[in-house]
Amino acid sequence: MKSFMIIGQFVPGNSMVHRLDPRSKLMVIFTFVIIVFFANNSVSYGWLTLFALILILLTKLHIGYILKGITPVWFLIIFTFILHLIITKEGPVLIDIGGFAIHKGGVLQGLTISWRFFLLVLVTSLLTLTTSPMEITDAIEELLAPFKKIKVPVHELALMMSISLRFIPTLLDETEKISKAQASRGVDLRTGSIKDRVYAIVPLLVPLFISAFKRAEDLAMAMEARGYRGSEGRTKLRQLQFKKLDYMAMIIYLLIILIFFSLR
Amino acid sequence: MDIQFEKVSYTYQVNTPFSYQALKDINLEIKTGEFVAIVGHTGSGKSTLLQHINGLLLPTEGRVQVGDFLLSRKNKRQDLKKLREKAGVVFQYPEHQLFEETVERDISFGLKNFQVPADEIQTRIMDALEKVHLSEDVLAKSPFELSGGQMRRVAIAGVLAMNPEVLILDEPTAGLDPKGQQDIMNMFNHLHKTKNMTTILVTHQMNHALAYADHIFVLADGSVQMEGTPKQIFSQADELKKANLDMPDVLSLIKRINQMFGTDIAYERRQPAALAKEIAERLRENKRL
Repeated sequence: MKSFMIIGQFVPGNSMVHRLDPRSKLMVIFTFVIIVFFANNSVSYGWLTLFALILILLTKLHIGYILKGITPVWFLIIFTFILHLIITKEGPVLIDIGGFAIHKGGVLQGLTISWRFFLLVLVTSLLTLTTSPMEITDAIEELLAPFKKIKVPVHELALMMSISLRFIPTLLDETEKISKAQASRGVDLRTGSIKDRVYAIVPLLVPLFISAFKRAEDLAMAMEARGYRGSEGRTKLRQLQFKKLDYMAMIIYLLIILIFFSLR
Repeated sequence: MDIQFEKVSYTYQVNTPFSYQALKDINLEIKTGEFVAIVGHTGSGKSTLLQHINGLLLPTEGRVQVGDFLLSRKNKRQDLKKLREKAGVVFQYPEHQLFEETVERDISFGLKNFQVPADEIQTRIMDALEKVHLSEDVLAKSPFELSGGQMRRVAIAGVLAMNPEVLILDEPTAGLDPKGQQDIMNMFNHLHKTKNMTTILVTHQMNHALAYADHIFVLADGSVQMEGTPKQIFSQADELKKANLDMPDVLSLIKRINQMFGTDIAYERRQPAALAKEIAERLRENKRL
């Protein structure tokens, strides 16, 4: 089960992308997500794809591994494509199957939207693949710090995020253990009718919830025992610091965006 | 059911940066009715090995034969449910798998999954309760209002109710107090003796391996490093140390006494009282010399 659950799984490394300040990475990804929606012709899409490919090369991760990692999203991408194919009624008819026409506009629309989707998932998964969850939350806390002035509980939000991220692998392990224990007691999640399979989830969920609540209680206790009182007066062991690499990356990224807008 | 491992290797998360080989070329044989201990340091592959016995994991290479079932990558499609009914597993902290509203329903959960006829379920539940020394009053209670030790017994009853031919125990005493540990181990030993159940105990407690097992496999780094009777295994203290394992307390004590007083007391699976008596006698003789 774990083998394909790699969306968001951090792979430690020492590539250029790994070494970037998480704030730079976060800003790049955030702007990239917006910029993708401005692409309007094959050249601009090509430019963004090239950018994504170079990013992948820079991470030094295996490309097959990344593509396999977004397996669960493939379904959504293909679904989007088919949806646009059927719904969009523009341009000349390409195929007509019993009143069900597929238009040229539909094919184009489907291709561009699903490609856009693919780029989004690919690039955002690069962020989590090369940045530890701790770094990401630190970066979010830093970047959102100005909002503290208008009473947004930035620290609490960041803490909640880092705790939930921290417990994802723990809960996955737990799920695997319990599902194995129940499989040994004859539960079969893979075969049987849909009704049977839904019922088969109960013996998995109840123990999982119980242990999650227990863990939460223990964690709260342990934090209080170590004097946690929220963000006030709390210092950081690892201060985030922009380096030369970050400034260079930012300048190159800006150039890439400028070229992109000229290609539109 | 005889169990046989032939050149079994297992790798977690094959083809990812996290791939990790947990078992390397394991060959071993467990005969029907034996009490076998599989011992090893944390991360030596004990738990991975035991999951091969009831088909939770299939070997990456090699094959596992359990009774009539042949488990290998090439032979994926078969009715593993039948195998799981015959090979019951008590996992580490089995109380974590409890979920039903009442103890009775939790124990009968496995029975229903394995389609045991309804009129038989009741007798099986009572039978299992007796085996784990719990009284009937717990049946109507929620498993979550019981004490930790009782919860574990309920979970074990859930496995025993399936009447498995092979019982696989993964650290069944973890987290229990010394008295509770001994009760549980005596219970399993009794079941093994009276029902002639093949029992496979996975543990890092050398004391338990010494006291109950007929045969011991020592795992280190995913391979079988030593195998033999407890006597053979524990006479090789240096080899054992290489696998990061300790000698059982009793044996270390006897060894020290023998060294200090030049006696030749042997353990021979005796209870503490009997051993103490011999030690006292020998020391008295010793003084006279």
